[in-house]
Amino acid sequence: MNNLKLFKRQSVNELATFYSFLIGFLIAIFIGSIILLIQDKNPFDTFSLMLRLSVGSVNSLSSSLNKAIPLILAGLGISIINSVKLWNIGAEGQIFLGAIAVNFVYINSQINNPTIHIFVLLIAGFIGGAICILIPAITKVAFGVNEIITTLLTNYIVIGITIYLINGPWKDPNSLNFPAAAYVGEEVFLPTIFGKLSFGFLICIFFTILAHYLKNKSVFGFEMRIAGGSAMTAVYAGINAKQKAFLAMLIGGGFAGLAGAIELLSQTHRVSTGISQGFGYTAIIVAAITGMRPLGIFLVGSLFGALSIGGSVIQTIGVSTYIADIIQASTLFGALIIQFFFNYQIRRVEND
Amino acid sequence: MIDIQLVGLLNATLQAATLLFIAALGELITEKSGILNLGVEGMISIGAVTGFMTAINTQNILLSVLVGILSSSVFASIHALVTVVLKQDQTVSGLILTILGLAVSALLGKNYVGKKLETKLENISSINEPSNILEVLISQNIIFYIAVVLMIITSYVLKNTMFGRRLEAVGEDSRSSDSMGLKIAKTQFIATCVGGAFAGLSGVYLTLSYVPYWTDNMTSGRGWIALALVIFGGWKPYRTALGALLFGFLEALVPRLQTYGFELSPYIVKITPYIITILVLIILTVYKGGITGAPKNIGVPFFRENR
Amino acid sequence: MNNYILEAKNISKSFGTIKALEDVNFYLEKGKIYGLLGENGAGKSSLMNILSGIYQPERGTIYINEQKQKSLNPESASKLGIGMVHQEFRLIESFSIKDNLTLSKSNIYKKNFYEAYNKYSEIFSLSVSPNKLINQLSVGEKQKIEIVKLIFKNSNIMLLDEPTAVLTPQETSQLKVSLERLSEEDEKTIVLISHKLKEIRDFTQKVFVMKNGRMVAEDLLTEDISDDELIELMMGNIQKSVIDKSNKIGKTKLSVKSINYIDRSNNLKILDDISLDISAGEILGVAGVSGNGQVELANIISGIETDFSGQILINERDVSRKGVRSRKKLNLSYIPENRLGVGLAPGVSVLDNSIVRDYFKTRLGPHLSKTKTETYLDGLINKFSIKAPDSKAEITTLSGGNMQKLLMGRELTSNPEVIIASQPTRGLDVNAVEAIHNLLIEQRDKGSAILLISEDLDELFKLSNRLHVMFEGKIIKSFHPGSADVNDIGLAMAGVIE
Repeated sequence: MNNLKLFKRQSVNELATFYSFLIGFLIAIFIGSIILLIQDKNPFDTFSLMLRLSVGSVNSLSSSLNKAIPLILAGLGISIINSVKLWNIGAEGQIFLGAIAVNFVYINSQINNPTIHIFVLLIAGFIGGAICILIPAITKVAFGVNEIITTLLTNYIVIGITIYLINGPWKDPNSLNFPAAAYVGEEVFLPTIFGKLSFGFLICIFFTILAHYLKNKSVFGFEMRIAGGSAMTAVYAGINAKQKAFLAMLIGGGFAGLAGAIELLSQTHRVSTGISQGFGYTAIIVAAITGMRPLGIFLVGSLFGALSIGGSVIQTIGVSTYIADIIQASTLFGALIIQFFFNYQIRRVEND
Repeated sequence: MIDIQLVGLLNATLQAATLLFIAALGELITEKSGILNLGVEGMISIGAVTGFMTAINTQNILLSVLVGILSSSVFASIHALVTVVLKQDQTVSGLILTILGLAVSALLGKNYVGKKLETKLENISSINEPSNILEVLISQNIIFYIAVVLMIITSYVLKNTMFGRRLEAVGEDSRSSDSMGLKIAKTQFIATCVGGAFAGLSGVYLTLSYVPYWTDNMTSGRGWIALALVIFGGWKPYRTALGALLFGFLEALVPRLQTYGFELSPYIVKITPYIITILVLIILTVYKGGITGAPKNIGVPFFRENR
Repeated sequence: MNNYILEAKNISKSFGTIKALEDVNFYLEKGKIYGLLGENGAGKSSLMNILSGIYQPERGTIYINEQKQKSLNPESASKLGIGMVHQEFRLIESFSIKDNLTLSKSNIYKKNFYEAYNKYSEIFSLSVSPNKLINQLSVGEKQKIEIVKLIFKNSNIMLLDEPTAVLTPQETSQLKVSLERLSEEDEKTIVLISHKLKEIRDFTQKVFVMKNGRMVAEDLLTEDISDDELIELMMGNIQKSVIDKSNKIGKTKLSVKSINYIDRSNNLKILDDISLDISAGEILGVAGVSGNGQVELANIISGIETDFSGQILINERDVSRKGVRSRKKLNLSYIPENRLGVGLAPGVSVLDNSIVRDYFKTRLGPHLSKTKTETYLDGLINKFSIKAPDSKAEITTLSGGNMQKLLMGRELTSNPEVIIASQPTRGLDVNAVEAIHNLLIEQRDKGSAILLISEDLDELFKLSNRLHVMFEGKIIKSFHPGSADVNDIGLAMAGVIE
């Protein structure tokens, strides 16, 4: 009699994550097509329209990349925090607090040189994101409180604070129907570099390289990996695991905060609930799907940015914008399923 | 006679608590088997939209409830497939389940936004304006009583039945359970689907009674609070119910604060439940020195030939 | 065919490149107590895991009650009456005794639990309420519950993996009586897996002997065979220590003065006034049953545990209040007992694990040079003949022996002044053990001072210049391996000193 048994593979193909993503994406497109067919839409037409409207022209391509910036930055932050095997579900809140910090500094400071001003505001965004994750980081390191729940709950707290601010102290009297803070002055708008593409994209490239360096080439990255692998090995090696975890969380939060700052300075130009449209959550998909690799996050983040733009423009032909969300989530589910076949082997065991 | 406002507050507390509690109880069952499912928010949303759609189209309440429960349960089986059968990361899978659930339900419910229900889940007695605590207690929605019954049954099953003890054994120590001949994968798969069913019931209650309409993202973080409640309750049904009452109370208090003469911004009051959850989590973790009653094998995929 | 209750024929199994079992035969008659004797790593546990359905053999046939078994898994093995007590207990700690006994699918005492529990409590002289939680029991009590659990599962063939390792001498002799009653009154077939000769002699009627994955003796009557013969079977020709111990001993390198250590969580005194000196070129062996303070002593000397009183000097410099890293800078190396989890970080690559000791030496500010670390790892791989095909692969893809060689190599490559090696060869196959012994000797000859903590007396005899025996946190006796009697050491390990 033959019997199917599961074996863990001794070595896993280096490109396993990439192949899993590709196949996952195909599965997701397939699922998306079925949904479109059910809605009586031609999937081929819809997808080619999405493609055209997301990357077909300089303008649409730059919109897509602009959309990718927060996904990439928040995704990088998540991947840095995951180096110590911790999760950051709070990128959404960190994006908001980054934007709030920018507005706070903008209101309360007087800087005449616009370049320095923008620079200061970007740093403020980074610090805002780090502050947002401060409580989860302290409670994780000091008491071991589950960071998944605390980072997540801070999202609701920060979004609550945002709503409070834009309806109360920061409410722009000129914005009657839509609660929002006043616009920041044009002197601190991030310049565009190509078409509508924001300067933020260059910042994003820089931070991708920085994250890649930090994770893969630096002593800090090594120490994070050991601390994440085994707390006892860290003690044994004289590495302060808690300090590394704390720093990783603050840096990761800062990346997401920076995303909020760039979003404010280049897209919304004011604090409102529109600062993030679930970027912090999509970033989790982006980070997880790439196995937490910074360069992968850059590529998948760009793709998902285009997908979001494509998803929002096809509303005009009566297709729900949520199709993009579904494709993104299904890609990861598909990738997870494929990943299984890279990690495990199903063999026949013969007993005769 | 008691204050009419107080009665209203109590009423609202129980309703909000019921919603949170049912989902939390389902998650508790799932986690007891060693599977962490962060997809509660998505599962509630699926149950809410499918139940609502059925109600609009058929006006059959019982059928709507069943459809809601069943669809959430099937939806949860995606998580079970990915984590139990394919042994992938539970955190990632659960998170994506939430994102997918919210997106799918928004897509499904697109044409149902703003539609009015003709039939709702009814309150059990005909007292329209309860004037004392007893009347409040006997005039709740049927789901409230179902929740109470579920709480008692779950607690009893977990503590006193073979099935419950085995479920808990699997979540505590899958290797030992395996050596006892217990079916790890089957138990975890079932527990995950049951958790989904509970979340579905919670979702149905949301759209068929609590706020009888459908709109995108209407779960507004309740699934995540349900997750926190499980920790708050130390993985015990009664304590989880207590937590649900506390959170229900806070949710009910928010819109009433101004009528009591507090000058607090309603936006700030709205975030207090989240702040309190974090505080409670901290206090619990510090006070219990890290031992919070969590199943020991939670989040760890079981693989027999692990050497 | 004989009427064996269990018969395994020509069983083979390998893990990766290591052959754990080769053509092994094993057969049992009903109601007898058997011994399965063999050194660590001889394949005893692998065989037992196959019989209880946990591992699948690559070749071979198993008959139970004269029925050929096509494929065993834990469920079917347990249904057929095979039960095993593992070295690490398979008890659910937070559950009650009753739960642990009754949750099994094949529990036969559903109705008359208390009757059965009382009966076996009496046989095992167990006097605890079945409602007590497992984590409130002593180790000896847990061991008994594990065996009772098998009875409740209706296991007629009971495989006990080193059941006495955690027991006191009194508990051990009590267990003997209990097992004899089980075989007589209930006709249980019992297999005692052990590497301790004395136990095999005391407990069993018949004995099988394994060596290097092969069965070297089958179904011998225990009373007919002498200790010498058994030892020869188990170890091959005993080669009395051929290690030259006339090497040059230099000045004192490690000096430990009156270390006291109390476990704050339960206020137990773990180390009681430990003092020792080790000189250059010397291996000081520390013998003792595990759990008598050896791990804590090693952790204190290496700087991991800081909450102690006493003094530690490396090359006459007081490092008592110094951290792990400054001790490493004074060239102290620590090979911890827990290879994976302490010495090596699971989930992290081979490359990362290889630089855990020396990375701060090679760093350039915040930069960690990939080429430098790769060169470093290649150096280790060549020097210590480690089989590690992929430096980016996760550490656990290496075999146990190669993991230990990587760990040893990493710790030894800089010619440390002081080496603490804790159970360096536990669970490794013979070749790896030999390689690791050679490394230690080579290091000794280069002038390192080595503290060797081990449970393996042969290893200690072979390698050490001097030998301390630790018992309940004290060094209760010291020996010179050249002149010492094994029995005296064995007694000292059990706390008996004349």
